[in-house]
Amino acid sequence: MSYRIGVDIGGTFTDFTVARESGELLLWKQDSTPDDPGRAVVQGLAAVAEQLDTDVEGLLGETELFVHGTTVATNMLIQRNGPTIGLLCTEGFRDVLYFRDGYKPERFNMHLPHPRELVDRWLRIGVPGRFDPTGEEVAPLGEDEVRAAAAQFREAGVRAVAVAFLWSMLYPRHEQRAAAILREELPGVDVICSADVLPEIREWERTSATAMSAYVMPKIREYLTALTAQLEGGGLASPLLIMQINGGCARVPEILARPVNILASGPAAAPAAALHFAGSVGDNLISVDMGGTSLDVCLIEDGRAAMSREIQVEGQPIGVSAVDVHSIGAGGGSIGWVDAGDALRVGPRSAGANPGPACYDQGGTEPTVTDANVVLGYLNPDAFLGGRRRLRDDLSRAAVDEFVGGPLGLSTVEAAAGIVRVVNANMVGAIRAVSVDRGVDPRRFTLVCAGGAGGLHAAELARELGIEKVFVPLEAGVFCSFGMTVTDVRHDHVTALHQVTDTIDLDAVNATIAEMEGAARAELLEEGFTEDEITLEREVDARYPGQVHEITVPVPSTPRLGPDDIATLVGSFHEQHLAQFAYNRTTMPIECLHWRVAAIGTGAAAARPDAAAEAGDVQPMRTTEAYSTASGEVEETPIYDVAALGVGASVRGPAIVAAPTTTIVLHEGDVLERRDADGFLIEVAPAAGAAGGALTGAVSA
Amino acid sequence: MEPTQTMTTPTATAAGGDYDPITFSVILSRFDAIVEEMTRVLEKSAWTSILALAHDYSCAIYDAVPRQVSMYDALPIHTASLHIAVREIAEAFEGEINPGDVFLFNDPYSGNTHVGDFVTAAPVFADGRLVFWSVTKGHQMDTGAYIPSSVVASAADIYQEGITIPPMKMVEEGVLREDFFRLLLANLRYADLIEGDLRAQIGSIEKARQRLEELCAQYGTDVVLRYVDEIIGYSSRRAGQEFASMPDGTYTAEGWIDSDGFGREHIRVQVEVEIAGEEVRVDYAGSDPQARGGANGSYATSQAAGAVPFLYYIDADIPHNHGVIERVSVSAEEGTVCYAKFPASTSVATIVPSDLMQDVVNRAMVEAMPERVPAGGARCGNIPQFAGNGADGHSPWGFMLFNNAGAGGAAKGNDGWPLWYNQAALGGMKIQPIEQLELLYPVRIDRCEIDVDSVGFGQWLGGPGNICAVRPLVDEMVTITFGDAASNPPHGAMGGGQGSGGGQYVEDEQTGKRRFVSSSGAFKVDHTREVYVGVSTGGGGWGNPHERDAEQVRIDVRDGIVSREAAAEVFGVVLSADADPVIDADATAARRGELAKVERPVVSPTEPNASPWLKNQMRDGDTYELDPLL
Repeated sequence: MSYRIGVDIGGTFTDFTVARESGELLLWKQDSTPDDPGRAVVQGLAAVAEQLDTDVEGLLGETELFVHGTTVATNMLIQRNGPTIGLLCTEGFRDVLYFRDGYKPERFNMHLPHPRELVDRWLRIGVPGRFDPTGEEVAPLGEDEVRAAAAQFREAGVRAVAVAFLWSMLYPRHEQRAAAILREELPGVDVICSADVLPEIREWERTSATAMSAYVMPKIREYLTALTAQLEGGGLASPLLIMQINGGCARVPEILARPVNILASGPAAAPAAALHFAGSVGDNLISVDMGGTSLDVCLIEDGRAAMSREIQVEGQPIGVSAVDVHSIGAGGGSIGWVDAGDALRVGPRSAGANPGPACYDQGGTEPTVTDANVVLGYLNPDAFLGGRRRLRDDLSRAAVDEFVGGPLGLSTVEAAAGIVRVVNANMVGAIRAVSVDRGVDPRRFTLVCAGGAGGLHAAELARELGIEKVFVPLEAGVFCSFGMTVTDVRHDHVTALHQVTDTIDLDAVNATIAEMEGAARAELLEEGFTEDEITLEREVDARYPGQVHEITVPVPSTPRLGPDDIATLVGSFHEQHLAQFAYNRTTMPIECLHWRVAAIGTGAAAARPDAAAEAGDVQPMRTTEAYSTASGEVEETPIYDVAALGVGASVRGPAIVAAPTTTIVLHEGDVLERRDADGFLIEVAPAAGAAGGALTGAVSA
Repeated sequence: MEPTQTMTTPTATAAGGDYDPITFSVILSRFDAIVEEMTRVLEKSAWTSILALAHDYSCAIYDAVPRQVSMYDALPIHTASLHIAVREIAEAFEGEINPGDVFLFNDPYSGNTHVGDFVTAAPVFADGRLVFWSVTKGHQMDTGAYIPSSVVASAADIYQEGITIPPMKMVEEGVLREDFFRLLLANLRYADLIEGDLRAQIGSIEKARQRLEELCAQYGTDVVLRYVDEIIGYSSRRAGQEFASMPDGTYTAEGWIDSDGFGREHIRVQVEVEIAGEEVRVDYAGSDPQARGGANGSYATSQAAGAVPFLYYIDADIPHNHGVIERVSVSAEEGTVCYAKFPASTSVATIVPSDLMQDVVNRAMVEAMPERVPAGGARCGNIPQFAGNGADGHSPWGFMLFNNAGAGGAAKGNDGWPLWYNQAALGGMKIQPIEQLELLYPVRIDRCEIDVDSVGFGQWLGGPGNICAVRPLVDEMVTITFGDAASNPPHGAMGGGQGSGGGQYVEDEQTGKRRFVSSSGAFKVDHTREVYVGVSTGGGGWGNPHERDAEQVRIDVRDGIVSREAAAEVFGVVLSADADPVIDADATAARRGELAKVERPVVSPTEPNASPWLKNQMRDGDTYELDPLL
């Protein structure tokens, strides 16, 4: 027997996903222990082991993959309860973190507070030392000033220091020397250099990534060191891997070199889960994870998740490559309300887990999306969470009437249908934001709807977007912690090298790429991957000369790039630019800033469980009164039990399919098929009067 | 101006079918999403930092009337009057507007803001009829003015601002008019960059055109148009409720512009605001005669400037469409600094006098509704344009520096933000990374840091100004300043103090002497021995400083935002000399007791030329030049 284990620490629960050799899953929720997060891991492992008829040693000894996602670092940022840290920076520039990019959001909100910096100003200390963009040393490093700064840091009791000088990503010498002095002066204090964390131009992002790394470093080191010891003591047979925001995982030493990578990393496991479950349908997927308070959306094109380097955590940019997860405040707990102008709104306020929707009968009085689904007959009050929670549909009705139906002069059912339509529209907006707005036509994608509330809305979302296929995983409720058990190991490398394609120095570019690829490959080999398990992906941040922002385009994988490869690169840039911005300038060369290599180590594919029983005679359990979007009336609608649907069984809407962690609603003309052990495929009926023609397009100017 | 349809109850129309509040919410958010996408496309694909970072552009959708349907996060000084520009285009080409056309326009004497703002507009057709306009307005870095800037305080008339463009067809049924485009570019410096910016503007309106066509195809054109009425009615209804909740009455205030670019100082702007039920009237009658230089308002900017403060007094959630704008009527006398007569220059119109025209409304209104009204923020200043010809003498370079901009005013319960830029931007621009500036232009930035005691003191502090030093590296650097609020600084409110005002100078590193320069002027910086230093203003404070939380004052001092002296003197917080200071509780209580007896004005200053900054900074041998010309 061997196991793959994913452990995801959240604020309330620590989720365990254990995949057996057969692919069968064991899921476990352990109460989190915020004072000592590792305790819940150990407790949970014991509970899981017991269910597998073994003990912790027996379990860990046969674990081939152990991936851990932790919110310990993210929570420190949210609560701002990290240690006092210092920032050593270039003289004259101690306010880089405070000035940010100079942008105040919410232009018309005069009461918006400034997001505070992670380092207080008196501990942001500038020292002499300056390079210019060509590498000339304009001023030598002021070593005496570095020592004086160390004295002030010592007095203030800082636990970590970020060192971030201008131009260090090209000329790191001053940072390295200053860090050496600080380590000498401040034994036991973590010192992190910006050129090691994010060697890219743009000082705010680089300084921020470094300061965030320093902020979480002392606690992360303590935590991961202790956890490693516990797991190794328990006989863990494989190295502890940590989930990163880039969608892959990495070993502990790699994490401690760039702690910024573990911030907000949970949702980054979604693409791996989506590809695992729905990969048989295709590798163009849009994953949608709808929980109680938020909706996370991610675009996966040709099997690769869209990446972004503009993600901020608690108002601070992380700068590093991150899976581009677009989140909005739309979930089962989102509250429906009527504003002062008589418009129906849903969210962003959420009833959360407490008091929760009105139907939970925990004191919530406002109508939530869950309440609307109860009123519409989609959620069975007696069978919620497998019958563990009885829902009060009378309270749902009262809430919908009082806050939406009454004010708008709508019946209870009309008002509930309205809440669902509005939250669907918000979700459609989020899906459009990651697709249409990026020049990608969503209609050639399969929507993968996960999360407890995903199946309720899936078909309608797809219809609105013109998407024909929806995949709903069977275990929709534990999408991300499952994703961790099927994720790859990933290391991102980046080098700043400024080149313009019509005068490109191919030797310099090839040497830069070769160096990164060599280091990346060695790293993965050392971690035990074989050559054929290693994938290297190259990209470059490029723009037209004189432009300000870059787009990231793929670089051909030819071992040694030649002029033809550069022509290919330039061509794909023009194409991308046209798709995203509706124009391009094909007579111009391309300016390249940062060259990137992503090194991905893919282990053995996770096994899939045996297919469920073959389809037999499909009969509904019973019927219920549920709302029909076609007629606008409540109609008698069949309910099917997922357990009764063997592989190949199909159900035509209108119908409701009840599974333990999700409920799927099918409307007129939608056809659901039990795909295999992993989930369901819905062929979505087109919208009445659906528009033809391309959703995206562009003019070459 | 067409009357607004104000809908108080859902109605049915023959064209659009029954009103459905759900469809309403869906279509409303679609319009905002479309404008958001336009905004992102323009930002990410523009060429000059003035658009790509500074966000000095606006995107909006108009209906065929034209009424503003959505502006999302645009610059209100651009959009509160943009319908006038769209109407001008529509009228000029009546009967000749076809699918695929794109129009270009910048004439401030027929409805645009100023020559520097290029309007691009594309008609959107559905079912064979014109139903929407997809519009951007982008501030160009150059318009061919007599000096290398598109904001020229010293322009003596509109002709000195460069090229004036009446409504023109730039793209005819999908085909770029190359001859016209070449004529245009031939008149502009940095033509390659500006061509890129114009193409980005066209890309942005093209995106919206596609999206609007999709929207009409999905819901049916009549349905969409029917909900446009509802969306405008909705904003009108909500804005009306907000205005009705403001105390009826007539409120007045005055303020002063530093100078007009030709040495005339302290130009007075006066406002009378009347709140009457659900309507607001703003009148600038009685303001000083128009300026000789470019510091004059155009019709479009005066209309917008009076309305903008009311956009942030109301719930930020209310969509800023025609329904809101309609409820604020603005008037100004022709021939005054608020609304100039042809052919006067309005080169600086979007900032001077508009910034002050907005801020005098804040001065007038703060006592009546202190929760809604912030203290004075920076008016445009310390955003110089730098230019040179390169080491070889024929490689022109230039950029506007936004990193040195002044700060925002405090509001009740909230300290002001830095980098507010001006009233027109309300903080919604971006700065250039220092490294990017040094990579792209032959300059080195020696410093960019907060200026101690630049904040307006108060229970809540204005945002801090900053000190920015720029060193030209290869050639003589032409420097053009165009701005305000140095000698007449941002006001404090409800007992809060004024911002620092600030200014700028050129320091000769060999003699140590400094040439101070007013906030409007043009001069050169010698790359062999001089460095340019800008010191921007802090924003005004809100509330009495001695009521600021003492622990917060301690942190302000520890962090170098407020000096120990000011903490004791103005805030009444007495601190030890430690790097991490300790409060002397007894001395603080005593000092705060004294300060509580001193009455502080509701708005200050109330006199022109109130900034002591220049006087305090000038040393023996330093000079001051008012509005120098090249």
